[in-house]
Amino acid sequence: MDESPELVSLRNGTKVTIRPMVAGDGPALLSFFRGLPEEDRQFLRDDVTRPEVVERFVAKLDDDSVIPLVAEHEGRLVGDGTLHRTRHGWAVHVAALRVVVDREFQRSGLGTALAHQLVRRAVGLGLDKLVAEVVDNQIGARRAFEKLGFHQEATLKGHVKDIHGAKHDLVIMANDVSHIWERMEALVADYSPTAGD
Amino acid sequence: MAKSEIRVGGLGGQGVILLGHIIGKAASIYDSKHATLIQAFGPEARGSACSAQVTVADEAIGYPYVKSPDYLVIMSPDAYTQFAPQLKPTGTLLYENELITIDDRLPAGAKALGIPATRFAEELGRRLVLNIVMVGFFAGVTGLLSKDAMEKAVKGSVPKGTEELNLRAFRKGYEYGVELIGAATVTG
Ligand SMILES: CC(C)(COP(=O)(O)OP(=O)(O)OC[C@H]1O[C@@H](n2cnc3c(N)ncnc32)[C@H](O)[C@@H]1OP(=O)(O)O)[C@@H](O)C(=O)NCCC(=O)NCCS
Repeated sequence: MDESPELVSLRNGTKVTIRPMVAGDGPALLSFFRGLPEEDRQFLRDDVTRPEVVERFVAKLDDDSVIPLVAEHEGRLVGDGTLHRTRHGWAVHVAALRVVVDREFQRSGLGTALAHQLVRRAVGLGLDKLVAEVVDNQIGARRAFEKLGFHQEATLKGHVKDIHGAKHDLVIMANDVSHIWERMEALVADYSPTAGD
Repeated sequence: MAKSEIRVGGLGGQGVILLGHIIGKAASIYDSKHATLIQAFGPEARGSACSAQVTVADEAIGYPYVKSPDYLVIMSPDAYTQFAPQLKPTGTLLYENELITIDDRLPAGAKALGIPATRFAEELGRRLVLNIVMVGFFAGVTGLLSKDAMEKAVKGSVPKGTEELNLRAFRKGYEYGVELIGAATVTG
């Protein structure tokens, strides 16, 4: 379920397909990342303009700790959204969200659509908590996540160095989705005041 | 199908009632049959015996109590001990096979089909959906109600936001059930 592509109509009427990343996406992904302006790229965790980095993303497709989605418009990739989780250890209930959208396609709801699909998948995987890491001056990204129900949970001072060597705070935004599962828990509790045979 | 009687048994907190409710809903709302549901609880909800009786029929049901079920869906050892002897000799037991061991309480001639439902639920991300794995298993093994009706009933009974995981749980149980009876017919 939900592995099928979803056709999204953006605010300006443009149609974009959101679908899982596939092995053949390597070259298109690389040109998408290379087309990003430096300011959108500089705070991404990896240097995504290097072919070997992108190849690594594509090679990891059968790893169930990463769920990668892409947004496609007329054969070109215009957005990338991933959900990262650990399969063992103390944070198995947590996943991190990362979203990047082509400049041309920003502010038309695509980032929100990608993030929304990832949140839905995370809930579908039974996760309790989602986090997103944004740099303090990424106002747009912070706003976008806030609109999806994330709130600022912690700040790591001077945690990020941009390509000019300047340090920035890293803001960790979180979204607790466990209430969704609490309702399910209540349903399976089998409690009823009418005890009997 | 004239009339099928189903008993669901387990512990409070395993979702016994929801399981019965989904079968009843699939029958009455989505498969245009008649269904009744009777729930029974032990003195405390969580951790104590809990059971549901579901009757599914083509015609209106006069007597809703299940004395000797055609199908027994069991999720805890206590429920097995209590209800196994009541199963019809031609009946089928569906049970969580990592929690329950079959013994001679089961009437001779009755079929017993097991599924590691708790493990499957955990692998899917939430132990909580154990009962939905059992719903799927029931659907796959018995074929009593259509898959479509059962899926709709699952979707319509679980909280918003949890549909996807619950449907995956259903399908996991369903596929396991279909494979199991397929294998059973081939070998025996
Ligand atoms: C963050 C990002 C993915 C948002 O994508 P997007 O497609 O522009 O997002 P949306 O169009 O869905 O915008 C959602 C809301 O976010 C806010 N927002 C987005 N960009 C903004 C900006 N530049 N300035 C102010 N608010 C902004 C707005 O409130 C917007 O809603 P509105 O347009 O109705 O006012 C995109 O800006 C991007 O790729 N940035 C670079 C990479 C990055 O920082 N990623 C986040 C870290 S994981």
